Amino acid sequence: MTSHLHLTVNGRAVDLADVPAPERLLDTLRWRLGFKGTKEGCRSGDCGACTVLVDGRSCLSCLTLTHEVEGGAVTTIEVGPEDALVARVREAFEKAGALQCGYCTPGFVMAVAGLLRERGTAAPREEFLEGLGGNLCRCTGYSAIVRAVDALRTEVP
Amino acid sequence: MGAFELVTPATAEEAVAALQTLGPGEATPIAGGTNLLFDLDSGRIAPRRVISLRQLPWRTLDWTGDALTIGSTLPLRSLEDDPRVRAKYPGLYEAVRNVGGVALRHRATLGGNLVRASPASDLIPVLLTLDADLDLVGPHGDRRVSVDRFVQASRRTDLRPGELVRSVRLPEARPSAFFWQRVRPANDISQVVVAAAFSPSERSWRVAVGGVAPRSVLLPESAAKLGTGRPTPDAVRRAAESAAERVTFVTDVRASEEYRRQLVGTLLGRAVASTVAAEGFPR
Repeated sequence: MTSHLHLTVNGRAVDLADVPAPERLLDTLRWRLGFKGTKEGCRSGDCGACTVLVDGRSCLSCLTLTHEVEGGAVTTIEVGPEDALVARVREAFEKAGALQCGYCTPGFVMAVAGLLRERGTAAPREEFLEGLGGNLCRCTGYSAIVRAVDALRTEVP
Repeated sequence: MGAFELVTPATAEEAVAALQTLGPGEATPIAGGTNLLFDLDSGRIAPRRVISLRQLPWRTLDWTGDALTIGSTLPLRSLEDDPRVRAKYPGLYEAVRNVGGVALRHRATLGGNLVRASPASDLIPVLLTLDADLDLVGPHGDRRVSVDRFVQASRRTDLRPGELVRSVRLPEARPSAFFWQRVRPANDISQVVVAAAFSPSERSWRVAVGGVAPRSVLLPESAAKLGTGRPTPDAVRRAAESAAERVTFVTDVRASEEYRRQLVGTLLGRAVASTVAAEGFPR
């Protein structure tokens, strides 16, 4: 099946024609729309590198059919400063030096943004540490990532 | 991924019809898709038609007193976020919040987990201890089946051609608990899981294990040794011994048979202690 599809990606309305039914959201974002910040890691939901937000909630784009989020609002790491929350998380990662090779970073940033949107900065630290269990950093740069999270939790929004 | 058509029916009847008109293996439903996409991508399954359940009104959580009916397509994250679920069904809450990561739980569903019937499911042992029933819709009408009958083996269930899981019904709030052992704490497949629950109406225990054998199982002999209320340390030890004797343990990439046998006893002790401390346990 190929059919017309409507999405909002990073605040812009996107109309897509001829998207095959088996196409994954990850591939639509990377290869059809050019948002290559979203990474493919394990392709099986174990690593979190492909995490984006769909309607404000974190979503593994490698395990999601594009047609299944028809009409939804997708946010990727490329979203502009108008998304103040994602912008704040990006800045906190920069300040904390929370990256080494950078491959997992977009997924981590989106996962943290999703947790902040769901739980707010007042949520217990555990919520964030456990909530990031689905994101892997193979450089094992976790302590800097946790520093970025701690900075976000203590700053006044 | 092979080619398939995706249809998005608006009603259960249309979904059943879309499923039924093709032979087994040729059509498959998709709920959260977190398991299905992996199977499609690896070529394990190659259906001609995938039927999306996203427009069906099954993302529900309905309370009748403390009895709970969970729609099969409700994302696990919504289940975990309900404070009443946490208070009344603590074992279920613990199991749900330990499935995958947060992003996975935003899409993964109870229905999908049951139909996949993984031997390492974190949810099935808990549902066994809660005496969960599944409500199914199909071409020959609705029927209800216990989770114990429904789950047969990995990827094998009592689901008949054209049938879909509509909801899961938990008959009574139960003090309950869920404990696991994994190599990595988050987002890993469990080596062993143990669930325990106490039925206040029957004054009896339920114990179930998963991850150790070809399917999750209730252990009635082990539960009986726990008695009719708060068990003595000796009773807990006997229940743990019984569990270690009764289960057929497997050795695989995740753990050896010996390790699993030892873990079951330890986790059972923790699950019983946590259940006794939970809301609603008779004082």
